[in-house]
Amino acid sequence: MPSKTPHTNGDKPVENGVNGTKDVEMKDDAPAPLKGGKGKKVKEGDEEMTVVVPPSKGSKLSAPPPKDTDGDVVMDGPEEINGDDAGAVQIDPVAKAVADIKSNFPLLERAVTLFDARFSLRALRSISSIRKRLTPDILAQVIAETYPSTSPAAKSLLLAIDRDYVSFTKPAATEMEIDGESKGKLAKKEQKEIIPEVDIFLGILIQIYFLDNKINKMGAYFSAQLTEEIHSLNRRTLDSLSARVYFYWSLFCEQIAPLPPSPSSPVVAIRPDLLAALRTAVLRKDIDTQSTVIVLLLRNYLSTSHIAQADLLVSHTKFPENASNNQVARYLYYLGRIRAIQLRYTEAHEHLTAATRKAPSSPSAAGFTQTATKLLLVVELLMGDIPERATFRLASLERALQPYLLLVQAVRVGMLGEFENAIKQHGETFRRDGTYTLILRLRQNVIKTGIRMMSLSYSRISLRDICIRLKLESEESAEYIVAKAIRDGVIEASLDRERGFMKSKEVGDVYATREPGEAFHDRIRACLSLHDESVKAMRFPMNQHRLELKNAQEAREREREMAKEIQDGDLDEDDLGGEFEGM
Amino acid sequence: MSERDLQDILRKLKSSRDYADCSSLLSKAKITLLKLKALTPQPNTPSSTLQLAREVFETGALLSIRAKDPAAFTRYVHQLTPFYELPPERLSPAHSEKNKITGLYLLLLLTQSDYAGFHTELEGLELRQGREGMLEKDKYLGYPIKLERWLMEGSYDLVWKAMASREVPSEEYGVFSEILINQIRHEIATCSQTAYPSLPISSTKNLLFLDSEGAVIEFAHTRGWLIKDGRIYFPQQSMKATVDEEGNTKELSQMAIENTLGYARELETIV
Repeated sequence: MPSKTPHTNGDKPVENGVNGTKDVEMKDDAPAPLKGGKGKKVKEGDEEMTVVVPPSKGSKLSAPPPKDTDGDVVMDGPEEINGDDAGAVQIDPVAKAVADIKSNFPLLERAVTLFDARFSLRALRSISSIRKRLTPDILAQVIAETYPSTSPAAKSLLLAIDRDYVSFTKPAATEMEIDGESKGKLAKKEQKEIIPEVDIFLGILIQIYFLDNKINKMGAYFSAQLTEEIHSLNRRTLDSLSARVYFYWSLFCEQIAPLPPSPSSPVVAIRPDLLAALRTAVLRKDIDTQSTVIVLLLRNYLSTSHIAQADLLVSHTKFPENASNNQVARYLYYLGRIRAIQLRYTEAHEHLTAATRKAPSSPSAAGFTQTATKLLLVVELLMGDIPERATFRLASLERALQPYLLLVQAVRVGMLGEFENAIKQHGETFRRDGTYTLILRLRQNVIKTGIRMMSLSYSRISLRDICIRLKLESEESAEYIVAKAIRDGVIEASLDRERGFMKSKEVGDVYATREPGEAFHDRIRACLSLHDESVKAMRFPMNQHRLELKNAQEAREREREMAKEIQDGDLDEDDLGGEFEGM
Repeated sequence: MSERDLQDILRKLKSSRDYADCSSLLSKAKITLLKLKALTPQPNTPSSTLQLAREVFETGALLSIRAKDPAAFTRYVHQLTPFYELPPERLSPAHSEKNKITGLYLLLLLTQSDYAGFHTELEGLELRQGREGMLEKDKYLGYPIKLERWLMEGSYDLVWKAMASREVPSEEYGVFSEILINQIRHEIATCSQTAYPSLPISSTKNLLFLDSEGAVIEFAHTRGWLIKDGRIYFPQQSMKATVDEEGNTKELSQMAIENTLGYARELETIV
């Protein structure tokens, strides 16, 4: 309470300042543990958190480079924010935060008037810098200063953050005292209608505040209201904002009491809403919401391991081609996961490689990269490939991938004992990463590699020796296993049943097969598709082509004039022609 | 129509051994359920009705297995899924045949060689069951899981032993044994075709788990193997290989040409 009173009747600047420092302390406390927790989790490679949190930040921090290649507009966005951060140290932090939040409103207005989603994306990107400074008081101040007191939207927003007693007139009064000019401005502002985009933007800020402070129940309730409001508004300029609203809503639901694996978790309850949102988004060609909601649904289904449903969703929807890069990366990851479970390793590998490549390289998205890489490694092993050693040396991955390194080593050499040790030791980690069942399937690969190693090193080896080396239960199983390996094309060999040995055939020259050609073809195809994608990703300013058209028209006119001139002086041309013929 | 009727029908179902009787009783039970609006669990269905409904479907599932009707069984399994997903306070998991039926379903998927379905189902089980140490130790669920692992590895003898001995967890599981044995015999046959240059008939008997040498010869004839001097030869193998190679080389050059043309076209568009 005491911290609020100065705001509402804060006519003394001194008191305001004191209040400000108090708020700073509070804020400093708040983000610190959050950050620490996150850092720890990233190191541990905890899937739930790392997948959730970093991409959400990543989408704000590092969205620009790949998708939004809109040159300088994007470039100055983050820089501006950084500059603000530096400046914030000197100026009163509360006022600064309020100003920062408000500075986004003109952006949103421009987005509406110019009908260009890039401006709202820019506003959304600035959230990451505001995020750490959010408190209900700051939000309340912003709301009170932005809206006229009669506005129902402001009422509901204030109610949500439990600050509904904040009065509207007072902050205006302080500004009047401080600065005569701002009075005029404010009056103008109040006359102007507040666009709904601003409502929703503030709603998102409130959502983030709830999320960061783990007020999940309230957050979920508020988000549900917010989506309803978006639905009733039906404005195309809201698309990118509404995508964000759905995103946080689903995050809230994931964190409420019966956690996802249990079938009674609220995650299940929001499915109909998400599906409805998806339908509407598809009908309205709302790419942002469409891609976000598809990803959310996939995540939702996989969290309760309804893989069949997730697969059906994938087959019945079309993921928008020009969705934002981060959504594409997440979608590819989930798709890869589904395919891996369905034993379609080649497809899984393709999707997961793309996902790891598309993942933002900023440290805030390290969790996503780690999770995707883990899955990719397992899938590579399942396909019978050995992942590159360099992957394990990357600083951001080294610790998280440690258990997987042991696994890879066991598979590479084909030592069944070591493989089982690795599973026993790190079973808990694998289970948490959701790769445990996939890793169990690796057993047969270990055996196959073991057989292959033996067929490469011995030209003839008895089944008994194979049995001992692979620690199999009987010679009979060894015989069947080797026979299967031969049929599957793992080794080139033949069996002699009476004398009980395996005889390897001479290994042919790899360069005589089609393999190098195929590898070459794959690489070229990757290069070509990269080229295609970068061409497609190029962006041009909206009305540039009209300018060009104008230029073209001018050029045509000039041409016509020239043609006229030529016609007028057609003697010249005849002369020219004559000369040519003469030659 | 009420719950009491349903209980009556269930009692009759349990005492009856005749499949035709049972199926008519089952359809009656299902109609009753429909009238009680409990064919799928609704938010306001009383838990006693839910329990009865589950029991009806479980009996139906086991019956259809005994009658070797996989389609009906799959249908029952799908109908049971929403019941199994109810929280324990609405429908207590006690007296449920859940593991038995899920195990049977896994086995069915295995015999249809629907490995993708098998693993999808398994993944869900692991997550829902939580500790999957329990999953593998469970008498009903562990069986198909072990079988799948052996099948993928190629330890066919272990599969054979698991099915031949009385390790089968319940009589319903036995129904699948025959199908599976035929399946692995076929697998082994294709394996040995490529793995062995030739085989003596006597040892082939053991290899294919056949009862007599006569059966071996019969089996060899159905697969078109040659029998000479008490040995089985696999003649088509070498022929197949040469054909394959020719096909390969043809394809290889054609592929190379196609690819190069493709690159040229792409380059043209780029430059």
